[in-house]
Amino acid sequence: MRVEAGTTLCLVGPNGAGKTTLLKLVATLLRPSGGDVHVMGHSLLNDPDEIRKRTGLLTVRGFLYDDLSAAENLHFTMRMGGLKPRREVIARVLERIGLAEVADNRMRTFSTGMRKRLALGQLLVRPIEVALLDEPYSGLDSQGMRLVDEVVADFKAAGTTVLLASHQDGEAVREAEQTGILRKGHLEILPESEPLSRHLSVGGPAGAPEVD
Amino acid sequence: MGFKSNIEKFLGILALVAMLVGSYVGLVVVPADAAQGNVQRLMYVHVPAAWLAFLAFFVVFVMSVLYLIQRDERWDRVAASSAEIGVVFTVVTLLLGMMWGKPTWGVYWTWDPRLTTTAILLAIYVGYGALRSFAEDGEKRARWSAIVGVIGFANVPIVYMSVTWWRTLHQPPSSPRSVAPDILWTLMLNLAAFTLVYVYLMVRRIRFAKLEGELEKRMAYNA
Amino acid sequence: MSLLHRAWAIVWKDLLIEARTKQSFNAMVFFAALVLFIFSFALGPDTELLQEVAGGLLWVGIAFTGLLSLSRTYQNEETSGGLEGLRAYPGDPRAIYLGKLLGNIVLLLLVESVLIPAAGILFQANLWPHALGLAAVSILGTIGFSVVGTFYSALTVNLRAREVMLPLLLFPALVPVLLGAVNATTLILEGDLMGEAVVWLRVLGAFDIIFFVICIWIFPIALEE
Repeated sequence: MRVEAGTTLCLVGPNGAGKTTLLKLVATLLRPSGGDVHVMGHSLLNDPDEIRKRTGLLTVRGFLYDDLSAAENLHFTMRMGGLKPRREVIARVLERIGLAEVADNRMRTFSTGMRKRLALGQLLVRPIEVALLDEPYSGLDSQGMRLVDEVVADFKAAGTTVLLASHQDGEAVREAEQTGILRKGHLEILPESEPLSRHLSVGGPAGAPEVD
Repeated sequence: MGFKSNIEKFLGILALVAMLVGSYVGLVVVPADAAQGNVQRLMYVHVPAAWLAFLAFFVVFVMSVLYLIQRDERWDRVAASSAEIGVVFTVVTLLLGMMWGKPTWGVYWTWDPRLTTTAILLAIYVGYGALRSFAEDGEKRARWSAIVGVIGFANVPIVYMSVTWWRTLHQPPSSPRSVAPDILWTLMLNLAAFTLVYVYLMVRRIRFAKLEGELEKRMAYNA
Repeated sequence: MSLLHRAWAIVWKDLLIEARTKQSFNAMVFFAALVLFIFSFALGPDTELLQEVAGGLLWVGIAFTGLLSLSRTYQNEETSGGLEGLRAYPGDPRAIYLGKLLGNIVLLLLVESVLIPAAGILFQANLWPHALGLAAVSILGTIGFSVVGTFYSALTVNLRAREVMLPLLLFPALVPVLLGAVNATTLILEGDLMGEAVVWLRVLGAFDIIFFVICIWIFPIALEE
């Protein structure tokens, strides 16, 4: 499987197919049982740290601390990313994701949608070259989903490669240059003519796609 | 295949013979100790058992280091086998120590540095074994137990030194007695016999471990 | 150096969360007080006996209390996605060990600053003349406990029956620390006429250094997925 730099690959497939596993693998959180993964020219087996410097992972639950505020969570993310945390950057990102007003509230008080936005924000405070988004639409209302689409569009404009896994339909999904179906661990890249709507659901559970 | 099982049988018989000879010499041939009487003969099994308990763990340590460097599952198999056999020797050491202690000093347990260290060694072995039984994934099990094996072993000399200090600050150290030559020989003989038993058990256990490993792999593949 | 910065970020995060929730600190102080009380009841009102064993009792209390906080070390990572979150960040994973270690040491020392005076009161021992010596034992013993404790709790975090495995693995590793700490404390409280306590403090110090080097070196292997 090959993804060109700066393009977007969308992964679809039933639950348990391995979409999250694939994303975690690229994020270097898992070791491949065979073979290797190369990200931006760096090998997972030999150079995982170089990969980690360039990738950002958005998971379904997010890596957020309940007892810290939104701003503090982003502050921590920047520090752990090796950056000096700058208030203007954090403020700007909070503004972008629509959480500027609740910047100093503890995450414990946040709704699911707000948490998801903050998790998205974590990818924006670091300069990443590859964005890995696992079910970015889940938990978000239509405004939130629009935000995801805008962020993905921003990524594209900046030349960031995006791998996104999604059950749900959305603009970012449709705008992806490549789409792949993951079934029981096997990935198949769809030809461009294939109508995507057969493989996606809008609001409901995704059915098992039948493409030969 | 036939060659290997012949070697195993040969080793087994050799070990058995050695044990019989050693026991005979220790129980019958060598004179009883002047002060302690026949109970002292327990030394001929207690000391070799202790020696092997520690040797087995040293093997676990070496294999663990090798595994962490090379990630070859063969080292893990040897480590796990040695740990299993080592537990047995450790328990035997402690039991014999208690059997020796009661008639000799009137107590089942003394806080003697060597006995205490052996008890701690047992705790380390048990931890090692429990860890292996709770880890399902073969690779993780090998890696984690290797780490515990390395740190556990590094701890043994430190524990021994700490307990020794603790005892000497409270009690004068026991004076070493000069050892008569035939006692020494008997000890060496039994030591060799026990070592042969260890090697024999290891060869068998490693062979089983290899089969277990293959069975695990097949089951995982079919799951 | 980036390692120290990231370790410091983790310490800051953990202590900030602890300061806000006071979850661990309160539980630890309460538990420690309970342990001290039970010991006092068990040993009876004979103050001489209590004073003789005060050193040992104190460290039993600290060990159990420390064990309580260790189980929580990585638990507050659980709710935020587990250690995975920390592992996804770039940089040497040893920063995680260092950060968690410093956090544990600070927390345990804070609890001890309450526990030791409380022990002094309950066991009717006058601690002030020995304050310096007690502080030294306290620090060295806590470091030793935390060095192995933090390491083993990372190792067992993904294991089934982790609550059993942690004490089981930790116990043999703690024998030198506890021996050193208890003996040094007892000697210090008795006035230490022969200067023996220094020997034990050196033992503790050596243990701390040796195990810190081993644990921090091996940590990335323990963390691998």
